[in-house]
Amino acid sequence: MSGSNVWSRSREKIRLFPELFAQCTGEAAVYGKCVAATTTGRQELKKDLCAKEFEALKTCFISAVSDTKVQHVLKC
Amino acid sequence: MSSGLCLRVLRGSGSAPAASSGSWSRFLSRSGARRGLSGSNSGTMNVFNREMKKRQKNWAGSLQDGQQYDYLRDEVGSRVADRVYDIARTFPLALDLGGGKGHIAEHLSQVQPVVERLFLTDGSEETLKQRRKSEIPTRCVLADEEFLPFKENTFDLVVSSLSLHWINDLPGALKQIHQVLKPDGVFIGAMVGGETLYELRCSLQLAETEREGGFSPHVSPYTAVTDLGNLLGRAGFTMLTVDIDEVQVHYPGIIEVMTDLQGMGESNCAWNRRSLLHRDTILAAAAIYKEMYGSEDGSVPATFEILYMIGWKPHESQAKPAKRGSATASFGDLSKISQPTNSNKS
Repeated sequence: MSGSNVWSRSREKIRLFPELFAQCTGEAAVYGKCVAATTTGRQELKKDLCAKEFEALKTCFISAVSDTKVQHVLKC
Repeated sequence: MSSGLCLRVLRGSGSAPAASSGSWSRFLSRSGARRGLSGSNSGTMNVFNREMKKRQKNWAGSLQDGQQYDYLRDEVGSRVADRVYDIARTFPLALDLGGGKGHIAEHLSQVQPVVERLFLTDGSEETLKQRRKSEIPTRCVLADEEFLPFKENTFDLVVSSLSLHWINDLPGALKQIHQVLKPDGVFIGAMVGGETLYELRCSLQLAETEREGGFSPHVSPYTAVTDLGNLLGRAGFTMLTVDIDEVQVHYPGIIEVMTDLQGMGESNCAWNRRSLLHRDTILAAAAIYKEMYGSEDGSVPATFEILYMIGWKPHESQAKPAKRGSATASFGDLSKISQPTNSNKS
């Protein structure tokens, strides 16, 4: 690997995702249930059908990011 | 005791623009001269970017801790080796197509010498360099599965584990395998197919639809088990055996699924793939995956449906169906057969 590039930086960022996601299991479950309901029910899945639930999930995720004060250390 | 000679073989000489040219000329050349590999009227499909796949496999092969991703290949390799052992024959010369690090040969070298010499081919040089130690004398050949550089009637056994699902022209490749086999040779293959990674596919599809209003394919198209029999038959194989095995691996979440697939060298390389996955979509897909498919302990399953196929090259010694009218006993006589056992039961 020849130093840091956009792909190695992206991979580093995505590595932190599971930890942050684990702090928002409640909101994730609510959003997941909303989308999963469309697979069994009559309603077809459309864009932003579960926008409210997703906003709650995203807010929780962003606050998890700022709480942990993630620092990216790039090794060359 | 393995002779690790790696020959760089001329890949795709002549008819293949695939080896050298970029993406645009590839599309233009499809309307030009036909490759003439598969005489089928459906024509050659061009779904996967083979150059990209080679680069992905080279990247995966050069990873420092790449062996942590080998679990699936090891498992399937051992099951293919089991099938090789089931055939009560010794194979002087065998070919491992897309063998990678030699996951099958590792399991073959144990009890009795079933395979005497092995040719290990792969499209990726880095992966061949990470070859496992094996007791069977092996030769490495850098070759594309769609352009086999071997003469006809060379091999007694051809095995292939988890590499056929990236081949563009599968009928053509099967025909080439049929050609390089000796008469009464056998092909044992394992490929992912059917409903592999349906959880990942559905989660991404639902997430993209809800977040972006549409979706694009992220998981490559797989062969259905019902088509496999036809494909093998068309290539000229007889005495076919096809069966399915489901391997379910549990991961902490969707990111680990995707990271492991990337580490295995199984990233998407279809031409129609979208190079971007929005952060929102990833977040949404993670939530959907966990909710729809997650288990009680918080892990999520990923299903790999492995299709195993065994096909033989025709030979006179093989059993043929009996001629019509050659029966010597009749089903009507069955009632007479059961009478002796009735008298024993007293």
